[in-house]
Amino acid sequence: MKERYNIILAGVGGQGLLTLGRILGNAAIIAGEEITIAETHGLSQRGGSLIVQIRIGPGESPMIPRGAAHLIIGLEALETGRQIVYANENTKIVMNEFLWPPPLALYPDINQIIEKIRERGLKLYVFNANKLSEELTGSIISANVALLGYTMAIDDELSKRISIEQVDKALEKVFRGKVLEMNRRVLWRAYEEGGKNK
Amino acid sequence: MSGVRSLVAMKHVGVNVAADILMSSGYAGTNAGFIVVSADDPGQHSSQNEQDNRWYGLISHIPVVYPSSPRDAYKLVKEAYKLSEKYGHPVIFRSTTRISHTRQIIQLEEKIPFEKKCKGKFDRNIEKWVLVPAHGRKQKKRMMRVWKTIMEEEGRPPFITVYNPGRRRAIIADGIAFSHVAEAVEMMGKRDEFTLVKVNLPVPLPYKPIVEALKDAKEALIVEELDPVLELQVKKILYDNGLSIDLHGKDIVPENGELDLDTVYKSLKEFMGEPVTTPWKPMKPLELTPKIPPRPPVMCPGCPHRNTFFIVKVAANKARLKNPVFTGDIGCYTLGYQAPFYTQMTSLEMGGSIGVAHGLSKVTDEPVIAVIGDSTFYHAGIPGSINIIYNKGHAVVLILDNYYTAMTGHQPHPGTGKTAMGEETYRVPIEKIMEALGYKTYVINPMNVKESINKVAEAFEEYKKGAPVAIVSRMKCALEALRDARKLGIKLPVYTILEDKCTGCMACVNPIACPAIMVPKGSNKPVIIAELCAGCGLCAQVCPFNAIVLKEPGSPDWIKAWY
Repeated sequence: MKERYNIILAGVGGQGLLTLGRILGNAAIIAGEEITIAETHGLSQRGGSLIVQIRIGPGESPMIPRGAAHLIIGLEALETGRQIVYANENTKIVMNEFLWPPPLALYPDINQIIEKIRERGLKLYVFNANKLSEELTGSIISANVALLGYTMAIDDELSKRISIEQVDKALEKVFRGKVLEMNRRVLWRAYEEGGKNK
Repeated sequence: MSGVRSLVAMKHVGVNVAADILMSSGYAGTNAGFIVVSADDPGQHSSQNEQDNRWYGLISHIPVVYPSSPRDAYKLVKEAYKLSEKYGHPVIFRSTTRISHTRQIIQLEEKIPFEKKCKGKFDRNIEKWVLVPAHGRKQKKRMMRVWKTIMEEEGRPPFITVYNPGRRRAIIADGIAFSHVAEAVEMMGKRDEFTLVKVNLPVPLPYKPIVEALKDAKEALIVEELDPVLELQVKKILYDNGLSIDLHGKDIVPENGELDLDTVYKSLKEFMGEPVTTPWKPMKPLELTPKIPPRPPVMCPGCPHRNTFFIVKVAANKARLKNPVFTGDIGCYTLGYQAPFYTQMTSLEMGGSIGVAHGLSKVTDEPVIAVIGDSTFYHAGIPGSINIIYNKGHAVVLILDNYYTAMTGHQPHPGTGKTAMGEETYRVPIEKIMEALGYKTYVINPMNVKESINKVAEAFEEYKKGAPVAIVSRMKCALEALRDARKLGIKLPVYTILEDKCTGCMACVNPIACPAIMVPKGSNKPVIIAELCAGCGLCAQVCPFNAIVLKEPGSPDWIKAWY
């Protein structure tokens, strides 16, 4: 059996993680890859910690064991740091340069998080997806797509299974009209940025 | 009853509410396929308990079909209907969070038929539908016949599938547990060493394939999530068939929380008598100072519940309503149990806020405020509200009307003005109901903070004098307001904090806890994250120094998005 490729999407409820899961799901259909996408919704959507577990390749068990992620895509710094337990020494991490503290809490700053992840010898890519989204759309709403575009450029293992063109095609299944065009621009611009930092 | 196929869906605790009719429907049977879809929540991702609804099958004598994956669910729904129609009996279709909330590619086996049968004729079969004792006794016999026939006859794929019969070691697993088992043994390269039993009809467990799978085994492990429902039945089957083997289950597999590949892998290792190790080497958590703070769900920026809770607390002070007890209910507002609000002190069941408040008002002398959401009120709060006023309890009923059943995804309710199918209909105003019951009813718009504080304080004064008081706080769910603003092309206002006017008093931080307001590292003055601000204006109304002002005024008609 081919090994399943395990991706953790980490972030805060409302950042568009479920949408990102849907995009990758549709891209997998186009690519002819098996995929499971395990989500949590409901109360846990309301500004709480959220992870989506994506497994590409044949198999039915939807959850990723700790230490078994090949890739972590973090839309927020504290949540990326929190989900580090899913990483092993070979895991790639792509993190949005954005820290959103929970209300009334003490928290470490983003540089400390970056430093501590790097100390572990992990491959960490930091990209300001919020900024790119704001530049192109006027809001941070497409930061999720931006981070995916960036990741597609730097992670060969992922793009071996699902190509950037297939992700582009998958956007059509999730968005329509102007929003679709906007997300397309974001995807490709971020992909370019990723290519520069590979 | 009318010969039309039907399906009803609810979460695991929803079945508790429906338990009365569930028991009767096993007795009555059905005239067309009928399945009860219900998802349990092992691990309690968003529920008050992790009850195992397979028990409901045993108590109601209704078979339980339980898929191992979303793909399995697609196939087994069809099989569940066939089973239901074959025996004229309802079927419980049990799912769990991990099946219902997982996406998977599913290839349709056939086209979904275009012609739907949605109309039938009521079958005037009094013996079936009127469960007086004489009829009930007859129906009980029918039900038990069905039950035993299923146990006898339905031990076949896709309900029970036996792989590699005749091995020394067997593993029996139902539903999603089987998916974890399959991947774990595959990873160990030991798939062929075990007899594997995939169970998708755990209740009542057909005994023939179990006997078949275990008759040559020396040892067996039952892997199931939550309670030992399979284990008890397998033990009975072994006894009844004179088999004696070394059987393991809940002595190895955890009974609390949800199972995953990791846990199941370890359980299998223990069962095999090998060192309990896994192939994964997870990173330790990062050592950071301060540590990464927990991030429980919070009320969204602009959430009307934040305004209401703030208003109610200030008004209670103003009216000298000392230390009220806030009984709570189930919805996004349950989050009020946290700092800084503490306006939810119980949350036990749907509609419980009002009943608990009634009881507390009888046995304590503390002021009691029952907090209940709109949707919960419509379906479970009205009888309790009648009970308080009729039986002379004394508690304020505070109803939070945000137009939708917000927590579960903005489904409409009788205050929305849309039917469950999305058709326009009229609104049932909550205040009219409460007035009709005899409550002195106050309606506030919590976006107007000062005015609302005065009204609520007045309501509390009345309550202190002994009057029955209800408060309806009405403001649209912020997520819907944002959605409607996008739809209507409306720009909502955005606030900002003027640094020179801000004294760092934290009046907009500590009592409000809005996720759009943060205190940057190394600063003692808060800032508003413009992208997150929904423009509700609570912080601006709370700031004692007028330091919070509009950054962008929004469209002239922005308020339309909120109504």
